[in-house]
Amino acid sequence: MTITCNQIDDLLFDGSPLAMETAARHAAECDACAQTLAAWNELSDTAQSLRTTWDNDTLWPRIERAIRAERKRPMRWTSRAAAAIFIIAALGAPLFYMLRVQTREAAFDRTIIRVSALDEVERTERDYTRAIRNLEKLTDAKLEDSESPLMVSYKEKLMLLDDAIAECEANIDHNRQNAHLRKQLLAMYSEKQQTLQDVLREDSDVSNP
Amino acid sequence: MLQAAMTTVLHPVPASSGSEDRRIAAACAAGDAQIFEDIYRRFGASLKSIAWNHLGNISDAEDAVQETFLKIHRSASTYTGEASFSTWIFRILVNTCYDVLRKRKRRIDEAPIEDMVETAERTAPSVDEAKRMTLRKLLHELPEQRRSVFTLFEIEGLSHAEIGEILGITEGNSKWILFATKKDLQTKWKRK
Repeated sequence: MTITCNQIDDLLFDGSPLAMETAARHAAECDACAQTLAAWNELSDTAQSLRTTWDNDTLWPRIERAIRAERKRPMRWTSRAAAAIFIIAALGAPLFYMLRVQTREAAFDRTIIRVSALDEVERTERDYTRAIRNLEKLTDAKLEDSESPLMVSYKEKLMLLDDAIAECEANIDHNRQNAHLRKQLLAMYSEKQQTLQDVLREDSDVSNP
Repeated sequence: MLQAAMTTVLHPVPASSGSEDRRIAAACAAGDAQIFEDIYRRFGASLKSIAWNHLGNISDAEDAVQETFLKIHRSASTYTGEASFSTWIFRILVNTCYDVLRKRKRRIDEAPIEDMVETAERTAPSVDEAKRMTLRKLLHELPEQRRSVFTLFEIEGLSHAEIGEILGITEGNSKWILFATKKDLQTKWKRK
């Protein structure tokens, strides 16, 4: 096989006996590659001469003693620590799992209670507002017909209360669990109820002088 | 120091079968004292040579070999048989040498490498001692992995497949590292 100087590196990279033989054949006819190959081989030859050993009659007995001592030695502190961590993990994992399950169950129960309590509040609110609307219907005619300053005042108060109630209900829609808003709403409904009862009473007073 | 004459050894590492390797590892794990001595007799020369070529002095090399045996004793039960037992041992030794080199690097009063590379009477008259000294010095200037590949291939005569297993690299990578290292050494060699 004929090769060019550019291929000498490929052959040195290959390093197989065949590649080195091919490189040597080319080097026989090319001075530059001959020098490269000579330096390459010199490096390998010198390297092989670095394979070194020495006799030391005490080395094996020393190693043997170290192995024997290691076998007799109680567990090292790192091993003990690792064992302790393993035991803690082995015992702690089921405990942790149980606690986690219990916590989750408790949280789930609390959520259920909170949701059901909220449902009850909303149900009561709906009944309450329905009752107030019924009361309102009874007062509608009187409020519409009467031109007395007192009735006009009641009418304005009820309109203001309705606006405030609408705004509060809109806020509650965004935050159902806000107890403070619900208290405010209840207070406004109570005020409205009281006002409507006053209107009716006024009506009764007018009707039954 | 009980150092006798250092000698150049030209024997390749003897090969062994997979079942034989597993038997040896099992015996090590069981704490069979005789098996450790057999390993020392079989691989001791190679272990000392590899350690010496990584660490540059006999004392550290012997300590590394001893530490390697202790590590074999501690972890023989983890030997899976994927690599040959000799490859597995060499991997432990090379990693031990890396540990020693890193510790040495951290030492403030570290002696220059010229002082640590011991010279001793050798029996290799075919190659000039000056060349050996030059190459040894150049080797100690190489990064760890390059030095290991060069040492294991050129000095210890291991194959690229074995070197790949020892150093955790591919066979091709080992081949490429060797080529690049030799090119680099050749350039520096000419300058010296």
